[in-house]
Amino acid sequence: MYLADFHLHSNFSDGKLSIPALVDYYGKRGFGAIAITDHFCEQTSLIGRASTYLGVTLTTATFPIYRELLKSEQERAWDQYGMCLIPGVEITKNSILNHRSAHFLVLGNLENIDPNLDISELSDRVRPEGALVIAAHPVSTQKIEKQTFHLWDRREELAPKVDAWEVASGPYLFDEVRYSGLPMIANSDFHSEKNMTSWKTLLSCEKKQEAVLQAIKKQQLDFQFYREETVREPSYSTLPWIMGPQLGHYGMGNVDSLQAISK
Amino acid sequence: MGWGTWIAFKQFQNRREEEPSSLAPVSILKPLKGVDEGLLENLESFFKLNYPSYEILFSVTENTEPAISVVQKLLSKYPSADAKLVCEPQNTGPNPKINNLMTAYELAKHDVILISDSNIRVKPNYLLNLVPDLRDSVGIITAVVAGVSAKGLGGWLEASYLNTFFARWMVLTKKLGFPSVIGKSMLFRKSILKRLGGLKTLGHYIAEDYMAGHGIQKLDLTVELMRSPIEQFIGPYSYQNFWARHLRWGRIRKSIAPLAFLIEPLFFSTFSGVAGAISLNVLFGFSPLTVWGLHMALWGICDGLIYQLMDRFSWKALGAWVVREGLAPLLWISILSGNTVSWRGRDYRLLKGGLLAEGRTT
Ligand SMILES: [Zn+2]
Ligand SMILES: [Zn+2]
Repeated sequence: MYLADFHLHSNFSDGKLSIPALVDYYGKRGFGAIAITDHFCEQTSLIGRASTYLGVTLTTATFPIYRELLKSEQERAWDQYGMCLIPGVEITKNSILNHRSAHFLVLGNLENIDPNLDISELSDRVRPEGALVIAAHPVSTQKIEKQTFHLWDRREELAPKVDAWEVASGPYLFDEVRYSGLPMIANSDFHSEKNMTSWKTLLSCEKKQEAVLQAIKKQQLDFQFYREETVREPSYSTLPWIMGPQLGHYGMGNVDSLQAISK
Repeated sequence: MGWGTWIAFKQFQNRREEEPSSLAPVSILKPLKGVDEGLLENLESFFKLNYPSYEILFSVTENTEPAISVVQKLLSKYPSADAKLVCEPQNTGPNPKINNLMTAYELAKHDVILISDSNIRVKPNYLLNLVPDLRDSVGIITAVVAGVSAKGLGGWLEASYLNTFFARWMVLTKKLGFPSVIGKSMLFRKSILKRLGGLKTLGHYIAEDYMAGHGIQKLDLTVELMRSPIEQFIGPYSYQNFWARHLRWGRIRKSIAPLAFLIEPLFFSTFSGVAGAISLNVLFGFSPLTVWGLHMALWGICDGLIYQLMDRFSWKALGAWVVREGLAPLLWISILSGNTVSWRGRDYRLLKGGLLAEGRTT
């Protein structure tokens, strides 16, 4: 059994660490598999284009270098730590409205990525090539940040196009996802060391990309809360009165339990 | 601006404190296209380097290339030199320089690579001074380029640009943590560039130097400036050439870093002088013309000092400086007004927010 985390950001988008530093950070902590998934904002929206100007997203220009660096770090991660590094990207469609915003991860194959495509079009394009599509933080993350509900609103229609839905994206379990019967995955949405304390996915398959992706697809996985000792307690910055009544029933999740929950 | 001048002085007076690391063997790559005045002497300076082990690979794209005869002359003059000519272009993308260099890059024997343009002329101790600074934490060493031996209006304008505005821009951006890489001179390790997919990846970009610097920083390695400026032999250069080159380069710069481009006028002597004069007039009632005059004089002195670091300042240089400072805002406006560039007979449309260009033959 080993820990895995499939939603990490580097300084190619809005993460703090470089890709080599992320590999070292997770490698030194004994993780068996990680995926680096930088934001790639759609360029058809004003917010997406603004992100490009601010340098907080991958662009068509930086994407080739990103892919090459992931390729070479994949080798190093394996040689140095016996860790499987999966190339990924977080397709980022932001709108002012939370219900029009969607983030989803593509893992495993970055050959034909176009951030302007709709999730179902992109899914049809990349899944036959062995990539996985994962709905990122589909419900409230219980943090004061931009929320992305669009995929969850369309979950019945999208279910056949999505391989897994994040049941955690940080220290809180999402009860709606947990009891929905949809396939799940737990990630940290790592942007800096302070995000390390989080739910992670637990795998027991071979540490090879195909095996790991298959395990996610077949849901041969478990979840475990991981606490990074050097960093202070996960902050309960959730202020329900700011989040609005719509979030009231979302529950806090089993934050402090270290025991794995089974599906 | 005065600060920038001061930093420029410090940059070039900086002496090496640490013991130099080993003098690793170097492969020097020289992309050639056309025969400009001084080419023979420029290239020959690389045959006279005091350095234990290096090779020179000249690279051209066509058998009919006129620069070939210059290279052959040098090869027969220095038969014992480890140097050869490569003519095997590849097609990696819209960047003709990378397409030209790809085969030579693959043939290069050594890990340490120096890509150096044909109009660069160096002193015999060039590599001795340069290579020891390529420490493990350093990804790429580039250089501030001094324009020398200018002829014609365009040549003097180019020299004025390189030896004042651009030199200051280079040391300032480096100081501020956003170093620029200049393709005219790039020293790096093949093994490091391989982590980004090698030279081939850079072939996707029209501004390969900018992307090299960008990628190197994503490896947590630094971009360094050589301790002394290197000399670009300008030679005869027309005004039209100057304008076209700066228009092209400005538009590329705009597409790469639009925000930085927008604040560029603040670094124009004329514009910042006008801004300063107006604000001092509004705040303290100073005479705008006096303030502007003083500002221009002070700016001119600072530029003169930097120029003197790069090359000997002269009356001609002063004249070119006045013209160029006047032209800068016009050039900036004309860069702003379009998104296409022509380069070696091809038109490229620069894509928004990115660097990729679509090639179209004219
Ligand atoms: Zn996200
Ligand atoms: Zn994310």
